Amino acid sequence: MNGNLYQPISGRIIDIIDESPTIKSFVVEAESPFKFATGQFIELTLPGVGEAPFTPSSSPKQTEQMEITIMKAGRVTGLLHECSPGQMVGIRGPFGNGYPVNGFAGKEIYIVGGGVGLAPIRSLFLTLVDRIKDFKKVVCRFGARTPDDFIYKKALFGPWQKINGVDIKLTVDKGDGQWTGNVGVVTTILNANDVDVKNAVAIVCGPPIMMKYATIKLLEFKFAPDTIYLSMEKNMSCGIGKCGHCMLGKYYVCKDGPVFTYEQIRKYPKIWD
Amino acid sequence: MDAVFVSKLKTLLDALAEKMDVYVPAKASKHLVFTKYDPGSSPAVEFNAVRTCTPVKEFLFPLRETAATMQTQAQVPALKAFAVVGLKDCDVRSIAILDKVFAEDDFKDALYVARREKMFIVSSDCTEPAQTCFCALFEGKGFTEKGFDLNISPIKGGFIVDIGSRKGHEFVERNSGLFADVPAALLEERDANRAAVQQQLERQSAEFIPSEPLQRILERTQDSEIFAQLAKDCIECQACTRVCPTCHCFYLYDGKQQDYFTKMKIWDSCMRFGYAMVAGGANPNKVLGERMKHRLMHKFVYFLERYGVNMCVGCGRCIDADAGGIDLRQVLKKLGEEARLQKTERAK
Ligand SMILES: Cc1cc2nc3c(=O)[nH]c(=O)nc-3n(C[C@H](O)[C@H](O)[C@H](O)COP(=O)(O)OP(=O)(O)OC[C@H]3O[C@@H](n4cnc5c(N)ncnc54)[C@H](O)[C@@H]3O)c2cc1C
Ligand code: SF4
Ligand code: FES
Repeated sequence: MNGNLYQPISGRIIDIIDESPTIKSFVVEAESPFKFATGQFIELTLPGVGEAPFTPSSSPKQTEQMEITIMKAGRVTGLLHECSPGQMVGIRGPFGNGYPVNGFAGKEIYIVGGGVGLAPIRSLFLTLVDRIKDFKKVVCRFGARTPDDFIYKKALFGPWQKINGVDIKLTVDKGDGQWTGNVGVVTTILNANDVDVKNAVAIVCGPPIMMKYATIKLLEFKFAPDTIYLSMEKNMSCGIGKCGHCMLGKYYVCKDGPVFTYEQIRKYPKIWD
Repeated sequence: MDAVFVSKLKTLLDALAEKMDVYVPAKASKHLVFTKYDPGSSPAVEFNAVRTCTPVKEFLFPLRETAATMQTQAQVPALKAFAVVGLKDCDVRSIAILDKVFAEDDFKDALYVARREKMFIVSSDCTEPAQTCFCALFEGKGFTEKGFDLNISPIKGGFIVDIGSRKGHEFVERNSGLFADVPAALLEERDANRAAVQQQLERQSAEFIPSEPLQRILERTQDSEIFAQLAKDCIECQACTRVCPTCHCFYLYDGKQQDYFTKMKIWDSCMRFGYAMVAGGANPNKVLGERMKHRLMHKFVYFLERYGVNMCVGCGRCIDADAGGIDLRQVLKKLGEEARLQKTERAK
């Protein structure tokens, strides 16, 4: 890649969708069509304020507009949540490797997600569903703190569940009056016979603690370490393997990841911290 | 290698200054730092016998620079060619290390590359290494054979100027009137001088030669108490990473000018508490000792795995700068001893 990779292109927030009490989706239009592979991330600048990495949650097929789902977590995300449509933003990227979707052909895909981790998963899900015949089945196990904390509720509670070849189960840490589904952390809805482990890949994205216990569970199910794909979250700044912040062993999470197989990183200390 | 002879350093510097900004080492209180050379008003320029106190990286990767702007038509002024004089072998090798990250990687850092292309390197032999120089542990010899445009060796009656690149050749050809041929006897004398310095460097590092590769030592001492002990001496001044010619962490910082927005690229340090912290407060390196360990792991394990070379040239600047009195040579030696003990214990 050439040119000044620190220079964002400009874009505009054209719509904002409330997803949950702490999460909003921002529909962003870049100055020119923006291509990315599912699982790659962008650095989004709020001019004069700061920059943070996010994985677009929309389908890569959609290049005119992209959606970015953002949890209010600190300074930059907090100020993004206060923005209105029309706000100018900067976009750098796409960076990182994304999911090796072509390598998943013919397999069963086991997706485990939690919280705002559903953002990258939505982009992946839309990509998979688009060519669902290429995969044996897509099995999703998603968790949220409460029913209201689920994002993409409309799609998740309805149309996605009806897609042929897709099997979705949801759980919440704490129910409410209407919730009839499972209550418990996401690992409580993982079962060894959800997929044919020998012909499956697992994809895990969510809070570190969830990723840790989900990985342990998947290993118990006899998933091979190189079939477990993890989206690693590290402090990032440059996005291009220069600034050092995102180092995980010899890897730069921004450039060599953010998607790694467990096999790649298992030997390094503190991968879940 | 082609070489020519010049009797006065000033002759060379003035010729360089015709087309380039020239930076030379100069004394600032008791330290040597790079200073812009002014052919008109400078007093006699002295040859620097040892490396400067500040690292050469500041010419390619400044402490603070504008990496990007938004909503402005402002033109970036074109960079002028510049020469840096008096770089030592360790400095030249530090540039080769930074090149791997910023210029030779498939993702290039356009800011670095632009400066690198404009840089003219005039290295020079070390004649009086510092006590803290331990370049001999990292293939350093006190003189350099590649990676420079010109190299100067002080010698009886003047300087031998080696030509190391096409740019160097062009410069010497353009100024051929200033240079003489090198008498063969002087070349021999230079070799003898170099050998003496190299021997001195080897002597002063002899007690620190690790018994096995540093990578192996560090991999085996992950749980060592030494890091916690070190943390007691460290006052978190971050000077070690600032003066290090190979440390290159930075942070992009968004700001505002009157009528446009900026993204600044500013040096950062892995010794800083919040360096690896993510939103929500999770932080793999909360503990100071862990950060010190990360710094060593990056230099002698991760960088080596990725780029095939240690991220240290043995210049010793971190030892000179360390306000807490930490000596990297001693740290590596202690870790080496611990690794050896472990090995013999396991053998029992
Ligand atoms: C690959 C990747 C993908 C991600 N995808 C998503 C996603 O899709 N949705 C989501 O909600 N979260 C995502 N995250 C997490 C998200 O990036 C963080 O929540 C976000 O960085 C928090 O920023 P903050 O400023 O609000 O938090 P804070 O805790 O205030 O700051 C965290 C970081 O913000 C940066 N920062 C602070 N000040 C400045 C400044 N002046 N200039 C530039 N940077 C500054 C620094 O890097 C700082 O360490 C992702 C993270 C990664 C690594
Ligand atoms: S570390 Fe070696 S090359 Fe650098 S100044 Fe000291 S003697 Fe010269
Ligand atoms: S974010 Fe800078 S190296 Fe990865």
